[in-house]
Formats: sequence, C-alpha cells, structure tokens
Amino acid sequence: MRNEEVRVLLGNVAIARGIIESGCHVVTSYPGTPSSEIIPAVVMFKKELGLNTYIEWSTNEKVAFDNALAASLTGKRAAVAMKQVGLNVASDSLMSSAYTGVVGGLVIISCDDPGPHSSQTEQDSRFHAMFAKIPVFDPSTPQEAKEMVKEAFELSEEFQIPVLLRPTIRVSHGKQSVRLVAPAILDRAANFVKDPARWAATPRFRLILHTKLNETLSKIQEKFEKDTKWNFEIESPRGTSLGIITCSASFVAILDLLEEFGLNEGISILKIGTPYPLPQKKIAEYVKRHYKVLVIEEPDSVIEAQIIDKSKVLGRLSGHIPYQGELSPEVLYEILVKVLGELGIAKLKMISDSKLEKLVENLDLPIRRPTLCAGCPERAAFFSIRKAFPKGIYPSDIGCYTLGLNLGAVDTVLDMGAGITFASGFYQAYHLDDIDIPIIATMGDSTFYHSGTASLLNAVYNNARFILVILDNEITAMTGMQPTPGIGITADGSEGKSIPLEELVRGCGVNWMRTIDPYDVKNLISLLKEAREYTQKEDGGIAVIIARHPCLIRYPDVCQEKPVKVEITEECNGCMYCIDFFECPALQPDKEADLVRIDRTLCTDCGVCVNVCPREAIVPADT
Amino acid sequence: MIKTQIILAGIGGQGILFASRIFSELGLKLGLNVLGSETHGMSQRGGSVLAHLKLGDFHSPLIRTGAADILYSFAEEETYQSLKFLKNGGVCFVNLKDSKRFDPAILSYLKGKDIVFRAFDAGEAASQIGFVRSANIVLIGYSVGSGLVPYKCDDIKSVLESVSQPENLEMNLKAFEIGLRQGSNE
Repeated sequence: MRNEEVRVLLGNVAIARGIIESGCHVVTSYPGTPSSEIIPAVVMFKKELGLNTYIEWSTNEKVAFDNALAASLTGKRAAVAMKQVGLNVASDSLMSSAYTGVVGGLVIISCDDPGPHSSQTEQDSRFHAMFAKIPVFDPSTPQEAKEMVKEAFELSEEFQIPVLLRPTIRVSHGKQSVRLVAPAILDRAANFVKDPARWAATPRFRLILHTKLNETLSKIQEKFEKDTKWNFEIESPRGTSLGIITCSASFVAILDLLEEFGLNEGISILKIGTPYPLPQKKIAEYVKRHYKVLVIEEPDSVIEAQIIDKSKVLGRLSGHIPYQGELSPEVLYEILVKVLGELGIAKLKMISDSKLEKLVENLDLPIRRPTLCAGCPERAAFFSIRKAFPKGIYPSDIGCYTLGLNLGAVDTVLDMGAGITFASGFYQAYHLDDIDIPIIATMGDSTFYHSGTASLLNAVYNNARFILVILDNEITAMTGMQPTPGIGITADGSEGKSIPLEELVRGCGVNWMRTIDPYDVKNLISLLKEAREYTQKEDGGIAVIIARHPCLIRYPDVCQEKPVKVEITEECNGCMYCIDFFECPALQPDKEADLVRIDRTLCTDCGVCVNVCPREAIVPADT
Repeated sequence: MIKTQIILAGIGGQGILFASRIFSELGLKLGLNVLGSETHGMSQRGGSVLAHLKLGDFHSPLIRTGAADILYSFAEEETYQSLKFLKNGGVCFVNLKDSKRFDPAILSYLKGKDIVFRAFDAGEAASQIGFVRSANIVLIGYSVGSGLVPYKCDDIKSVLESVSQPENLEMNLKAFEIGLRQGSNE
C-alpha cells in the first residue's frame, strides 16, 4: 500500500479500516443491519495487509462483548460491533464493564437505525452509553467514523474505560472517499494481571469502582471541553440570532441545506461529536451568545436532554423536531422553514411537491413489500404450516423468515429468541383455561444458535407443549450470508467445529424431533400433524421439526438438486389463491388475461408451487 | 465536470449497488469527492432499493427531494416513487418494457418541469446478449449515448474494467456498448 490512498468506502468498511489502523487485535460481532458489513471488511483488510488479527462471528452480542472484553483484560486492543438492539442483548456486560473498566482499548460499535429501516425500535445507543456511564463518539461521515475509532481506542486506554462509537445508518451505509493510512502494529503479548477487587468485585468494591467511574467521567468531560476536533463551531460571519447544535448525519445534511439556500452566513453551527459526557461549558457558552439555539439530533434527544438551561433551546421539547422517524433532508428542511419563519430570519418556500404526490397516488401502485425470494425453502415451510393448522397461533422471530408475515404464517415478532418463549407463554396462558390450541413457532437456524436454547430449555422444563419448526437454511441470510455454528465455518472462512441443531435440540430435552426438506410439502404437512398429535399425547411434549434446505442465494449450485420446471394449465381460473397464500415472486398476476403466469427470469424450478393450486393448475411441465 | 447528484432506483437483485459503485469509482477517477447512501438489509429481499450518489463538493450523502440531476430507474413502479427527487430540468432514464404504458399525466407533469424522460427496454437488450443481469449497465450506456449526462464513454469503460468481476467483464462492456449505441441513435 502507498503511504496514503483514497478509496470510496461504505461507512462500515471505513469503521473496519479504523479498527485495523488502530492495531486492534481482536474483533467480534453478531450480524445485524446496519452493522453487518464491519466484520467482513475487517477480514478483508486483515488478508490484504497480512495481519495477525483474531476475528469472530459470535453466537450473540453478549457473547461477542464478553470475548472482546476478556481480550482487553489481557492488554490487547479489542472491538465489538453490533446493531443497536444487539446492545440490549449485551447490556448486562456493558453496564458491569463500565465499573470494572478495561486494560487494552475496548471500542463498542453500536449502529443506530433512525427510520427505522431494518429494526424493531428507533432506540438511541447514546442513551444506552449514558445509562452505562461510558463515553460516546458520534460520527457524521465514514471518514470521521474511521478517525473516531482511532481516537476511541486512545481514550479507552488513557482512562481504562470502554468507549462507544455510535454511527447511524446513514453513516454505516453511507459511502465516501476515505483516506487510508498504514495500520499501527501493536506488539502486545497477552498478559492478564489478576486483581480480584476489580475483575471479581463484590458489591462493596463495586461502590468504590462506581466512585472511580464518576471521577473518570469528570476527567473525560474536561478533556472533551478542550477538544476542538470533534466538538467545533462553524461561526457565521453575521448574526447571532440562531445557532444550531447538531451531530451525526444531521450535521452534514444541515450543512448542505444551509449552503444550498444561502443561509450559512446568518446561522452558526456547533457540531458535537462527543454527546456523552457532554462538554457542558462549551454548550452553555455557545447558547449564551445566541438568541435561540436549535438542537438537531436523532433518533432521540440526548444532547438536548442534558442542556441545563433550556430557556433558549428549540428542539423536541419545544415541539420543533419530530419525536420519531428519520431526520431526512426533507424533514430537516421543514424544521428550518418553521424555525426560521418563527424567528423572522428567512421565509423559505416548502419544497415538497404535492402535485406529483397526488399524481402518483392516483396510480394506486401496489406497495412493493420485501418478500421471500422465489424458491425460498422458508416459503414452502410457511405454506405447509398454514395449510396444516389454518387456525393455529404462529409465534415467529427475526430473520428473512419474518417475511412469513406476508403468507399469514407469522403472528408475532418481538426480538431475537421470542419465537419459542412466546410459544411457551401462549401455551401456559391457554392451558390455564384448559384450551388446547395448535401453537407453531418458527425460528431460523442462526436465531436458534443466538438465543433459542435458553428458551427451549425453559419450555421443556416447564412442560409446555407446542411445535417448533426450525427453518434451517444453513446460513444467516437476512443480514448478508454470515456463517452459523451449524455449518462450522468461522468469520475468516477457516474451519471451526460444526454443532448440528439436532444435538442442541436433543440436549434441551426434546424427545420428539424430525428433520425434513420443506420442499417436500406433502410430507411436511403430514409430519406437522404427527407432531401435533405428540403435543397432545399424555406422555407427549414439545415437538421439533428441523426444516432443512440450503438458502438458494448462498448456495445456488446445490439448492435445486431436482429442478422441476412448472407450467400453468388451462385449469387456472385466476382465483389468485397462489398469489395470496404463496406469494412467490415468480408467480405473477396476468392482469390482461385475468390469470396467473410464471416469470421465467425469476422461477428457480423448485416445483413447490405444484402443491399450492386448489385446482391443480400448476403442474410439472412435460419436458 | 460540474457536481452531480444521482438517484438509482429499483428493486432488490437488479444491481443497483453495482451501478452505484460504477459512479462512485468514476468520481474517484475524476478526482471528485464521492458521497452516497445505499439500502442494505431486509429490502434487498425483493423490496425497493434506492441509492443516492453525490459527486463533487457536498457534505451529506443524502439527496433531498427536488435536487437530483439524474435518475436511473430500473423498475417501472420505482420510477413513479423516485421522480420526486429530480430537480427542474433534470433527466431520467427508465428501464421500461413499453414506454407507451407510462402514465401520460405524469409525463406531461415532467414536461412542465423541463425534466427529460427517456425510456428504453434495457432488460430486453440485456437478455438478447444472454446476460439478463446487465440491464443496469445497458441503461447507463444508454444515458451516456444520449449525451444528456456529463460522463465520458471512455471513463465509464475504464471504470467497468476495474470494478467488474473478471468473468463478467466482457459481457459488461458489451452491455454498455449496446446501450451506448441505442442512446446515440435516438
């Protein structure tokens, strides 16, 4: 590599580069949008530069966190990456580690998803860091994210505290030309120094650690007060009527808007890159110099909440910023229109064009919702479940298979692992009333490895009865094809030990378990009925079906062993049953003929739809 | 080259991210700052995919409504949803099976905003060369051929050479040429 090189990098790749340039030794993660691209990029740079870095896809975020933290205790640098709701899973470790602290730098990357685009909540990881009492860096661009990772390692080591980097989705999935430099090579032999008062602290010592933590935070706050690299002002040549305090992706969006509308000369900006501990003096001094100050941040109001004197502050509390949803350039513009109008600074015209909106609305376009791929084995499983138990309750979980919603075969999605806990919870509630109702839980393989075993153990132990269908496509598909413990390939492609689902399920005390290829719809339906009988038998219990067929995006060469070319006969009367209950993208309504046709460019010849049509109009082609 | 803001719209699997990569590498090659934003995750399973790309001196990766210079749309329905990004006087290139089918009321609306609308069956052209997945590159070639975008044919070709998988390079170049020819004929 040349001394300095510029590449266009995805924000997450820039973060990975920051990890590598910091000389980090251990990197762990559990995939989740918008964080999933970090680990593959670390692997890429490791290979490109021939580095000795340990990288793992862990089984869940808490496991990832603890593994990274332990490495830090030996003096090595470690990073752990996850999506914002993953930090909930790792929260127990996070809270405790703030007290015990670290030795080698520990950087936690928690990617927020204002929108939300691909998450169950819009929670703000900066609040999570504040809750745990650890410092946060909040980048606005991929380039800044990379630099902040390096600074975070330095800070973490200087103050022996875990440090959080909080990119939002527009940073993680933003792209930018980024300057690369050579990585630092830190030659540190693992050396865990025993100190039970710290690493095994009992409550009495915890109080001491908490006192020290508070002192450390004060020192870090002082450092952030003096810092001008991450917290800086863009002064306006004239006017002190309005200042904007902002951060993350909002900062750069505001810069573009002010420049475009020629407002940058009348409005100053205070950019905050360290929202916790907040440089309070800097903020107070800035607020003092302005008539009003608008605080723009997402997804929640971490800076605004901490400002002590709010008499001049406009933000969510004053009703100027929406409490939910992403602060897109359009939303930000509308906020500016309102605030600048109220203060008499400028009268801006609205940019949204209601005429076009109406014209498009009149077209009554179908909403293109995400859907399972043509040929997806999970579709076959969901169809069979619904066919076998049309009146069942279907608790499900997080993954591609959440899209079983479209097929009416998913009733609940809460978080990772709740497919099984909801099934046992539903069972116990109905059982109190002596009602026997079919409950069919679905969970993907990666989710099961993540948090299925504790829930299944609990359900077996407490005599719950339901059917669990583990949808095993042998990959973590939704987040971009990360390997699972089932296939036993590790993050960098090297071989790990494969742990088959069957062994885990048996180990959880389940006595009835069958494995089947869900493409075999007829047999899957009868197996589901057999499973139901077992759940109703006197000496029965939980029945587990492992529906195993490889993901056809990840394994295109092996997924269709016996291709079945199908055609639609004259029997088709356009009832649209297949469209409504099977929703394969390759089956499309032929609006002109009022029938269904096959899109050959999408069809994968899985042949599953032969089992779907009530009139048997979908048949294997003769050839 | 002046700064440009490009929207790429379509559905998962149509190569939007690859198209976005072509323009970002082009920006890099021309010494421009590159900023952009992409859709990853759930939407990639057949949902709407949108990429923003800004070449030149900008700060934010996002293009606001009414500011894009160019729109590439690889799917008809997604075109309707993403036209709002175009500025007055912008230009859009749409992969469309039948250009007569496009809503006339919207076409006349675009005319009123001096937006140039160019539709072309890039999917068909791509399948004719036996590489259905290259419809994205056909459409880019078409835009360059039309002379309505500020990108040079040789620059895009050299970018294609650097970003294509070796086994796809020949087909990608062919797809580009086909689009280019069609664009300059119209």
